[in-house]
Amino acid sequence: MSTETPQTDAASMLVTGTAPPQNRRRRRRLAPYVFLAPSMLLFVAFLAVPIVYAVYLSLRGFRLTGGGAFGQRREVFVGFANYVSTFTDPEFFAGFTRLAVYGAIAIPLTLGLALLFALLLDLPRAKATRFSRTAIFIPYAVPGVVASLLWGFLYLPSTSPFSYITEQLGWGTIGFLDGTMLFSSVANIAIWSGVGFNMIIIYTSLRGIPSDVYEAARLDGATEWQIARKIKIPLVAPALVLTGIFSLIGTLQLYGEPTTLRPMTSEISQTWVPLMKIYRDAFVRDDLPLAAASSVVLAVGTLLVSLLVLRLVQKRAFGDDS
Amino acid sequence: MRNTKALFPAAVIAAGTLLLSSCSSDGDGDGSADGPITLEYWAWGTSQQPLVDAWNANNPDVQVTRTDAGGGTDSSAKLLTATRAGNAPDLALIEFNTLPAMIVGDVAADITEHTQDAGDAFTESVWGLTSFNGATYGVPQDVGPMALVYNQARFTELGIEVPTTWAEFADAAVAVRAADPDTYLTTFAPGEFGGFAGYAQQAGAEWWSVDGDTWTVGIDSEESLEVADYWQDLIDQDAVLAEPLLTPEWNSKLNDGQILSWPAALWAPGVIYGVAESQAGDWAIAPLPQWEEGNSDVAFQGGSAIAVTTSSEHQEAAAEFALWMNTSDEAAAIQIEAGQYPASIAGQELTLESDPPLLMPQQTDYWEVAAEIAANTIPDISWGPNVNVASSAFQDAVASAITNGTPLRDALVETQQIVVDDMTTTGFDVAEN
Repeated sequence: MSTETPQTDAASMLVTGTAPPQNRRRRRRLAPYVFLAPSMLLFVAFLAVPIVYAVYLSLRGFRLTGGGAFGQRREVFVGFANYVSTFTDPEFFAGFTRLAVYGAIAIPLTLGLALLFALLLDLPRAKATRFSRTAIFIPYAVPGVVASLLWGFLYLPSTSPFSYITEQLGWGTIGFLDGTMLFSSVANIAIWSGVGFNMIIIYTSLRGIPSDVYEAARLDGATEWQIARKIKIPLVAPALVLTGIFSLIGTLQLYGEPTTLRPMTSEISQTWVPLMKIYRDAFVRDDLPLAAASSVVLAVGTLLVSLLVLRLVQKRAFGDDS
Repeated sequence: MRNTKALFPAAVIAAGTLLLSSCSSDGDGDGSADGPITLEYWAWGTSQQPLVDAWNANNPDVQVTRTDAGGGTDSSAKLLTATRAGNAPDLALIEFNTLPAMIVGDVAADITEHTQDAGDAFTESVWGLTSFNGATYGVPQDVGPMALVYNQARFTELGIEVPTTWAEFADAAVAVRAADPDTYLTTFAPGEFGGFAGYAQQAGAEWWSVDGDTWTVGIDSEESLEVADYWQDLIDQDAVLAEPLLTPEWNSKLNDGQILSWPAALWAPGVIYGVAESQAGDWAIAPLPQWEEGNSDVAFQGGSAIAVTTSSEHQEAAAEFALWMNTSDEAAAIQIEAGQYPASIAGQELTLESDPPLLMPQQTDYWEVAAEIAANTIPDISWGPNVNVASSAFQDAVASAITNGTPLRDALVETQQIVVDDMTTTGFDVAEN
């Protein structure tokens, strides 16, 4: 042993797992870093660096240099000018108002329907549960853009089967994409694709409840309705909070559905929701710095709203221990 | 080993930067000075690949590879970012109205010295689309003189005469509604920035103009506002369909013969044929209606030029390729076959020997009518450095005017304001008006 060089020492250490005490201590100190490295690397490369870059970019702006009618538009430092334009643009905040209307329709309906389906599937009498579960879940597997196009065809008067029926009955066409109905129509697409996913989470949580709780309730004469209301719903509250937060964040990130529907109706502007405005600024108006500033505002806002909601519901859902 | 703790985060960051930088290191594969050079060319449209193939077959020393980077708007947005990132192509197809933005964005290079004699190949009004303050920034490829594309079969059926003035056009719009309540003469679409600009330019408006170092923006000029009032009146009477174009809804109406015309440009037959093949043989082309009787001026809608980029290391070779693409007979023949209307005089003459487009095989004088229209295009149309801003502001303002029933006039005033504000913020000198 004494004639071996440190290298072979290390090699034997890898193979046999034994090492002198001094090396073992060094290894123990190093190990956490080695285990952390892959995730740290990915975190830094794909999250930290882009965030820092976005913040940096939000303080820049394209300004004319060299003067003249055809001077060059170059990137310069502009301080908080982009934040000022973000906060003074009424359209940015009008977008949040539209989101709120959309969210007020989409979130309760998605969660309500998901909970309802989960409870129905969990009934002892329920038949064909496997088929129903898959059938309700399948829309989630349809990509958002495809779902929006599909629903777009179902909405437009000339191609809509619903409008065809109402027209045959002499009631005229249904303006799915006009006026206030637009919000329900956009929300409908999100509900259609979101219910299945949320249902699975709630259903999984329901299956985790020990069945002796139900047995005890039934012995005491509780009906299925009472079991659902008094036992099941309170016990799946954490799952409801989780899906609620997901839905809330999903709402703030609304983009695909209205963007896909936009060419079909004059009602949806390029700034209909905040993310659409950010896209327009970045890639239509070629103002990436302004888009970066608005993104930072949106991200901070999402974080604050999520924390606020979590704090409000935490005690009720998880009890006092957290 | 005491340093492990301090070293580790540094190593992670270093590895991270390595990872990032390795993503952007490809893309500049210029050959050596002696061997054949390779030019990269961004262009959309069906005519481009056959054109590039024809060039490559004759020029073994200068090989061109073409990338489809999306349509005009997308491709230009990518060009700006690619130029900033230092990996722009050598050449790119750019729409005429985006060219000024590409000049101030430092994308399009001044190629005046390589294109000295090329001006003669084009009419003055076409050459003017790529020349600014005496410098040339691109070679025109195709143009879109504005024309009226209409459903001749339905016009005859309903007893509608082809309108020659906009006043007649308005009467025809009302007459069509009276003759068939399911049918509209035409569409007024909020997204059609280029079309509206064309109607306004035909009326004498100058949306952007340069005098020395000062820009003047005329989107809300009196001529433009009158054009807005004209369409407002038709919308209020429900005489035109105020809806977006080319939606499943619109296409279905078009196929049912419920939309009878599209005052657009010479590329419109191809677009209509693309969504309504069954309509072939029913449609025809006519000169665009005029604001004043006896006049024959029209503006351009659409059309593009090839620009050499500032990032290119082979600007002379690139300019040579652009000239061949847009002035040679061989290239013009390929263009015409793919449905483009060539920008060069020789190319336009060549169309006279071609068959009419697939939408109107019965209109044997199609190319004569087209040539007459093209001969009357307005010279000196200039676009500003932020047409992208104007176009997106126009779309939203007009769409909301239509849905809320507010005046179209106000939409133009709003667009003007956004455009002027944007130019002032960027640092352009904009004249008060």
